[in-house]
Amino acid sequence: MFQIILTYFLWNSVFADTNTEVFGYNREKILTYVFGIIIIRALVFSARSVDIPGEIADGKLSNYLIRPINYFKYWLTRDLSSKALNLAFSISEFIILAIILKPPLFFQSNLLYILLFLIILLLANYLIFVIRMIVSFVTFWMPELAWGAQFIFMMIITEFLSGAVFPLDIFPDTWQKTINLTPFPYLVFFPLQVYLGQITIVESMQGIMVALFWSLILSIIMKKIWLSGLKIYSSEGR
Amino acid sequence: MNYAIVVDRLIKDFEVVERESGLKGAVTSIFKPKKKKVRAVRSISFSLQEGELVGFIGPNGAGKTTTLKTLSGLLYPTSGFVSVLNYNPWDKSHDFLKKIAAVFGQKNQMWWDLPAIDTFELNKEIYELKTREYEKNLEELVALLDVGKLLKTSVRKLSLGQRMKMELIAALIHKPKVLFLDEPTIGLDLVAQQVLRDFIYEYNKINKATILLTSHNMNDLVDLARRVIVIDEGEIIFDGALEKLVSDYAKEKIIKVTLASDDNIKKLEEVGKIKKMAFPEVILSVPRATAAIAASEILQNFPVTDLNIEETPIEDVIRKVFRRNK
Repeated sequence: MFQIILTYFLWNSVFADTNTEVFGYNREKILTYVFGIIIIRALVFSARSVDIPGEIADGKLSNYLIRPINYFKYWLTRDLSSKALNLAFSISEFIILAIILKPPLFFQSNLLYILLFLIILLLANYLIFVIRMIVSFVTFWMPELAWGAQFIFMMIITEFLSGAVFPLDIFPDTWQKTINLTPFPYLVFFPLQVYLGQITIVESMQGIMVALFWSLILSIIMKKIWLSGLKIYSSEGR
Repeated sequence: MNYAIVVDRLIKDFEVVERESGLKGAVTSIFKPKKKKVRAVRSISFSLQEGELVGFIGPNGAGKTTTLKTLSGLLYPTSGFVSVLNYNPWDKSHDFLKKIAAVFGQKNQMWWDLPAIDTFELNKEIYELKTREYEKNLEELVALLDVGKLLKTSVRKLSLGQRMKMELIAALIHKPKVLFLDEPTIGLDLVAQQVLRDFIYEYNKINKATILLTSHNMNDLVDLARRVIVIDEGEIIFDGALEKLVSDYAKEKIIKVTLASDDNIKKLEEVGKIKKMAFPEVILSVPRATAAIAASEILQNFPVTDLNIEETPIEDVIRKVFRRNK
């Protein structure tokens, strides 16, 4: 919340003159971006699956393995419930801040953009799930480092490269192109771009294809890592 | 007869990272982990018939739990063949998991903040039980363990024994055909131990369930298991009837005599080795083969008021088994 207010005032002062356009954003759109982060972040980044490394390290994982439970569906469901809860909170946060700061917000009126936005949002939620799983499964090999790996990867790389701190447009062009090939911008930055109509419909579709591609590849990697992790799992403490 | 469990030349290695104490050790182990291979199970083979209840015994670290975990699909065998109800446990097929249950000590699967009944309801969904089936099983288990009044108490408020009973109900609500019990009576008082033993006995009989049970509690074995498998340092050193274990390893029998007077009491030494002399009671151990002769000798030559011939206590036998193997 504090971070949001800070970014808000930063951009607000950059765009003090209402006609300024920076990185292709006008005042309305950049402030909508900042506000959009509140919602998207709550939706995409909230998860219960942060508990997984702990459960692998202390052997609680065994409890799932000896029962007919699909481990992935189980955590997907728990994540969804956590997202629903967080979404409710973030909407109230959004409303409170909107009342206090009275920002000029941008509302997308093109239904096609809204549809694409919803599709990419769905993909973003799946992508982050798979990424989290893969990072969590490092625990199988390094039980002591689990928390560290999780923290560094999720907090720094994912948040930074996803555009949850600032729009990725501020990077030089070549950087942007490279980042766009990774799965990270599709978590926050890209959905907001689509919503704001900052990119064309064709570019949006292309982005969705990249996100789809990553979902597929990472799903396969996740399954592979899971299976080889289970082979060295020693079910300690049970 | 069908085999419920088949284990053939099972080997399980663990990789253990050793590290020096302190910060320096912690840092070195990140970059240069000193790995050591530990063989927990060294090529063991055995099989259980359907409906058999077998005791699995051995000192700490012998490989009992490792074997049970491999049989329930938690551990990947380094080599060897394992089959439970004709499934490969490692595949963790849901059909397989619905037919087995594993209870590892007091570690719980119960939800601490919720009453036990909620965990049972959850398991009903997980195991996809029909309501009628679930209610029938629950009623039966609750009656056997006599915990009807505790179902709605939150689990954290239950005593260890009560919780263990709930754990068993949760594990058995789907009527598994194969049951792995790792130290089911650990930490329980004598009454609770007996209740649990009776329960396991009944469950085995009523459901024809195959049960493999580990325990350090010899009463568990005497009461429940006709057959025992003794494992030490990852190897099976005995597999057969409990009585045979006793007759194989206990070369002596115990004679307990109560005497009317302590005349000539010292002379008892000539009959056998005196283990305890506390007049009027004397305990002697005599060779198994000559136990009857020794007894009649005592009866003729001493003022006996009472005499008993007994087997060596099972604890002593097991201790002997493990020591001999060293």
